[in-house]
Amino acid sequence: MFSKMTGMRVRTQLLIALASIVCLTIASDRLASQTRRVVRVTAERFTFTPSEIVVEAGEEVELRLKSDDTSHGFRIAGTTVNVTIPKRGRDDLSIVFRAPAAGRYTFECTHMCGAGHNFMRGMLVVRDRTDR
Amino acid sequence: MHLARTGLALALLLGVAAHAAAQTASDGASSVTGPISGYMDSHYNQPSDGDPILDFHRFVLIFSHTFTERIRFVAELELEHAIVEGLEEKGAVELEQAYLDFLLTRGFNLRAGMLLVPMGIINERHEPPVFQGVERPLVDTFIIPTTWFEAGAGVHGELGRGLRYRAYVMAPLDSAEFSADEGIRPGRQEGSESNVRHAAVAARAEYVGVTGLTLGASAWRGNSSVTLRRLDTPVTIGEVDARYKRDRLELRGEFAQVSIGDAAALNDAVQLSTGVSPNVAEALRGFYGEAAYRVWNAGPARDLVGFVRYENFDTQFRMPAGLLPLKQFDRDAWVFGATYYPDPDVAVKIDYVIQRNQSSIVKAPSSFNVGLGWWF
Repeated sequence: MFSKMTGMRVRTQLLIALASIVCLTIASDRLASQTRRVVRVTAERFTFTPSEIVVEAGEEVELRLKSDDTSHGFRIAGTTVNVTIPKRGRDDLSIVFRAPAAGRYTFECTHMCGAGHNFMRGMLVVRDRTDR
Repeated sequence: MHLARTGLALALLLGVAAHAAAQTASDGASSVTGPISGYMDSHYNQPSDGDPILDFHRFVLIFSHTFTERIRFVAELELEHAIVEGLEEKGAVELEQAYLDFLLTRGFNLRAGMLLVPMGIINERHEPPVFQGVERPLVDTFIIPTTWFEAGAGVHGELGRGLRYRAYVMAPLDSAEFSADEGIRPGRQEGSESNVRHAAVAARAEYVGVTGLTLGASAWRGNSSVTLRRLDTPVTIGEVDARYKRDRLELRGEFAQVSIGDAAALNDAVQLSTGVSPNVAEALRGFYGEAAYRVWNAGPARDLVGFVRYENFDTQFRMPAGLLPLKQFDRDAWVFGATYYPDPDVAVKIDYVIQRNQSSIVKAPSSFNVGLGWWF
């Protein structure tokens, strides 16, 4: 009888712990996406829109990249960000990174996408948090 | 003298660029030769006044090489109409682009070599999947002579807030080749031992600051008395265009006007040497508007776009005193069609072109066209 009660209690405690973990994970995800800066970028021959992205040093940034035609590359010089944006109609690409030190970082298409490929560039402007 | 100064200025600019680029060559990028890219364009054309033809119109290969992070090379080599034979009106091998970019800052970069003239919607953006219709718009053929490429050098960059520009010094047109039917198109020197007794300047500004919207304005000016040295034939081209895309709808519009200075003297001089006046106008004008709607919008392989385009183009828009316009070259056209995309880089096209002109004697042909184009 005693061992049956103990077993039930352990199972209940385990369930509560599991539920707490799930709740915490969801909450932290929501919190993260609330505090994370989300920027949507559309790529199309031969522009990124927007072509200038302004963030703060050290903040977490989520880029949601989408192509309106062929596949494009997306590389931010001086960072580790270097990805391929899938063609139109395929899934959008989401990348999360921490903004580097204050400065100006060129981003560009790295897949030859047509006659004006070298025009396909933009600027990530990272501001110091004290610059506000 | 002007050309010498221009050349000196360009040499200085490129010297500075090369020096600046060399100083930053340690950005980490090593020399990389890009994979070969390109596009193909194959057509079936059934004109109302002739036999149908099958034409492998364009076979284009694009090569690129990155010397350093800031010095890059791009070339576009094209075989038109599948075969090239000596002394026959067949195809052509064309070097449409071959340039070095010296990427200095966001707002100021240098480019030199064989360049596309920055003019209109199509000339710099002509891959088959990006425009509607089997053939390129007629305004972008008869008024803006796409594909228009020429040797030269210049600057390009983005000034922020979606405003970008390019400005080049290039070899001019040769006005001795202008015609009543095709306007300035036969006057392109195409970087093949181009005569640069005079230089031309070409510039374009674009606004791309709002998602889906592109506004553009271009200008070209050059003294085009190249072969006929006694003449003074300044040519000026002005152009504005807009593209707007929202959800399933895409709208495009373009207006271009060409002005040929002292066209009367040009016609006289050509008549004197060939015996026939080319009847070149002193102004050419064209415009078009296009609406395209994505009927299926479910991504590959359910992408189908229907479109309609109205074009109006007149290569005899305003004539010099003493010459009458040839009315068969005052033309307009309705183009109806559809493009099916089994992949965003593959376009299966079909259209019908109803062309008309103002002549009561010469009829303009209509045509039924089917095309297959792809980018890789």
